[in-house]
Amino acid sequence: MSATGELAAPREGLSRRALLGRAAAVGGLVALAPQLIDPPDAEALTSAATHDPNLHLLRRATYGPTAASLKRIRKIGRHAWIEEQLRPLKIHDAMVDHLLSSRFPGLKWTIAQANHRVPQFQWDLMFDLGVANLARACWSQRQLFEVMVDFWSNHLNVTNPSDSGWNCRHDYDRTVIRAHALGRFVDMLKASAKHPAMLQYLNNADSSKYEPNENYGRELLELHTVSITGGYNERDMRNSALIMTGYTLDWNTTTFRYDPDRHYTGHVKVMKWSSANANANGYAMAMKYLEYLAHHPSTAKHIASKLCQHFISDTPPQAFVNHLAKVYLKSGTNITPVLRELFNSPTFAHSIGKKVRRPMEDVVATVRTLGLKPDASGKDAMQGLYYLVDDLGNAPAAWPQPNGYPDEAASWASAGGMLGRWNAHLSLSAGWWPNLRQPKMESYIPHPLPKTHGKLVEALAKRLVFRTLPEKQRNAICGFLGVSANTPLTADSAAVGWRLPYVMALILDTPSHGIR
Amino acid sequence: MNELEPVVATKACGCPDYDRALSRRSFLKRAGIAGLVAGIASETAFTQLAFGAGAYTGDVLVVLSLRGGMDGLQVVVPTGDPDYLNWRTHVGIPQSTLLSLNDTMFGLHPAFGAIKPLYDSGLLGFVHAVGMSEPNRSHFSAMEEMERAAPGTSLRTGWIDRVIGRRTEGTVFQAMQVGSGMASTAFIGPEPELAMWSVDGFDLSGAWDATERQRWDKVLNALYAGSPTMLGKPARAVLGALATTAQMKDLGYTPANGAVYPDGDLGNALKDVARLIKQGVGLEVAAVDYGDWDMHADMGTVDAGWMHDHLTELGAALFAFATDLGSDMDKVTFTTLTEFGRRVEDNGSGGTDHGYGQLVTLMGGNIKGGAVHLNGAWPTLAESALLDGDLRATTDYRALLSALLQKRCGASTSDVNSIFPGIGGIPLPDVAN
Repeated sequence: MSATGELAAPREGLSRRALLGRAAAVGGLVALAPQLIDPPDAEALTSAATHDPNLHLLRRATYGPTAASLKRIRKIGRHAWIEEQLRPLKIHDAMVDHLLSSRFPGLKWTIAQANHRVPQFQWDLMFDLGVANLARACWSQRQLFEVMVDFWSNHLNVTNPSDSGWNCRHDYDRTVIRAHALGRFVDMLKASAKHPAMLQYLNNADSSKYEPNENYGRELLELHTVSITGGYNERDMRNSALIMTGYTLDWNTTTFRYDPDRHYTGHVKVMKWSSANANANGYAMAMKYLEYLAHHPSTAKHIASKLCQHFISDTPPQAFVNHLAKVYLKSGTNITPVLRELFNSPTFAHSIGKKVRRPMEDVVATVRTLGLKPDASGKDAMQGLYYLVDDLGNAPAAWPQPNGYPDEAASWASAGGMLGRWNAHLSLSAGWWPNLRQPKMESYIPHPLPKTHGKLVEALAKRLVFRTLPEKQRNAICGFLGVSANTPLTADSAAVGWRLPYVMALILDTPSHGIR
Repeated sequence: MNELEPVVATKACGCPDYDRALSRRSFLKRAGIAGLVAGIASETAFTQLAFGAGAYTGDVLVVLSLRGGMDGLQVVVPTGDPDYLNWRTHVGIPQSTLLSLNDTMFGLHPAFGAIKPLYDSGLLGFVHAVGMSEPNRSHFSAMEEMERAAPGTSLRTGWIDRVIGRRTEGTVFQAMQVGSGMASTAFIGPEPELAMWSVDGFDLSGAWDATERQRWDKVLNALYAGSPTMLGKPARAVLGALATTAQMKDLGYTPANGAVYPDGDLGNALKDVARLIKQGVGLEVAAVDYGDWDMHADMGTVDAGWMHDHLTELGAALFAFATDLGSDMDKVTFTTLTEFGRRVEDNGSGGTDHGYGQLVTLMGGNIKGGAVHLNGAWPTLAESALLDGDLRATTDYRALLSALLQKRCGASTSDVNSIFPGIGGIPLPDVAN
């Protein structure tokens, strides 16, 4: 389904075939890069993305380029910049640290503290988490870390907000996701398995030898580790659930509890792993099972594939996925070497223009390039920004199902979503809503004042989307202003007066800003 | 949403998930205010609105989600069941006040009386004791599960998305959520949907008059000319949709046959659905939400209060919708869904807690109206007949939807087996012609 009448574009399958057709025409590029198996989107390359490899890296490894980040990467070089981002704790992040401690103090509370300080079952802390994570995406200097936090929050999704997280979802974010986002996957998986948020979300807390609940045991295989094609069958899945029985909660304190009485004993087997499982205390046995899964070659391919889908393209080349899977296994499920390999690869370098920003990525990139800042006090504007991305169906970690937000363009290619983005660009450019702190309008006007409207649009595009707009797009924006590119610009032209936010919004509406 | 306040204030509910789940949707209203909308001179011909309509010739399916868990036992009351008033000692509706449904077992809550002419003329009917294959008494996960509609499978898509996936490509208006900026989880999946607060509010926020709208249309078309499909396709789709809604705004809308929609979000949304149906823009499935049914406390009496007021609004909106559509109801099939019914025994707070078997209201020119369908015998409210204190479900809601899709919406058996995996072999209720 898509557009109306004569505007109807071909269905997705057709357009994929069309892309393949184009790939043949650019065979030279393929020859240069043997790992680049999937077809380059020639259309995107020529019309929307810039070829600057620094910008490409910033579009993928951060929530969007800024003048400052571009300056930094140009100064120290891409390789050093990647290394810097892979050590987030060494990056000075005072503004965001202060923002968190002053506006979101509850995010540091333990579950026990939250039990006392949050009214029972109220969702305040979960909303704080959503708002704070959006703020970190906008303003943290540890950009790649925040991108990875979002990645893992979706991979091990515990929907925020949702039923059972009122006193513990913030703790899951801190002690499971953030603690291991650039660490070892095996550690993150084990931490998630015993966290009260996950225990409730996928019902393992309810599972016992008397009444096994298979929700967690199944998703553990299908979503968290080996994936649905990973080589397990229904019997394996049921064994997976039995192995995890005993992992439950102290419901009074919402803390992890191991209950040998609930634990199923007797031989268990999942794929090539088995245990006599004779001990009523199966805690250590279950941990061994999780280690097996985390190190399984299918898990390696699954995670490598998702990383490639996020950072390379919607259909990443399988040879490169396999290569990254090997790096993952060789490093003992350590994520940092995998990311280092990915960002330094020719496959990454040749993937320019092959990802589309999802709504939250679009809005955050808009905030960043416009130089908007959080509220001077309180958090109303930041909450407003949260509502804005929620309205676009993309609030942080809010996907309602256990599989996390989709990470390919087709899932987000909706008409209403596009309208929402365009309206967000104008609302944020004009400072209508949400009321984030914005630089003075005059500060967006280039100095000295360009001689013509065309030059103004070009200069604004350079500043906001870091590229020279194609001539047709520049002329179209001039047409919107009722002038031509050559029409002289003066200090009292509408384009640098009341029309300025509209011009800025239109530049953000160009496909260039939609490309990740 | 103001209606939420009683729940939040009493805190007797014990299920703040619902308050928030709903308020999460209602938050969006603040965010979704789309700029200025002014009257635009009407010049365009009506017929242009129908361009691009697909091959679909079945009924428009309208799904009204009564979020919060409507207490069907208070609406279509099993007054002939001797246990009803024994369980409902606080909120039970006295038989003497009920309106007749020409049924020995059931009577109608008088506040819902606006729909009685529709029932009597066969345009409206009920199905009682409907439910999911297993009870799920958590609002949030029950809504998700109901809208995923694929228990015991790994499917991640919503059922409406799968309905559309079985059809040929339609217009941008093919599958819509009306009255909200965000589509429900029933739409999750590869098929695009269009969510809009309202026809009149669906606009570019910078396009405050016809001249500005033309400027925006021209420049955005130019910016996306030849752009990558993954961006160009939705851009062209929304520009097409905006052109259509602009024409609809130019034309204005007056409900037909003297229909008067009640003030409020529900009336506005159903009015827009009727408008989209009548103006032939290619609508095939529309979803509307009407929340605040989570009546754990202070449900009120038969004459006044929360349930009374809610049923009054619902009844007025359904009557207006059917009146407005008139003969067009022949190509409309309407159904309600709610995530669960309520506990049979009322609680000490003048309300009822989360339960299982629910009531479904059907409307349409070709549904079997004027009856309360049971798909077998009434499961009864005898203590031994209840499931953990709840009314049992005798009709799987997916079988009910399958029946509507097969009888009225052009779906084949293999279509419904694909839309609702595992439904094959379950007898479909006889609710439509």
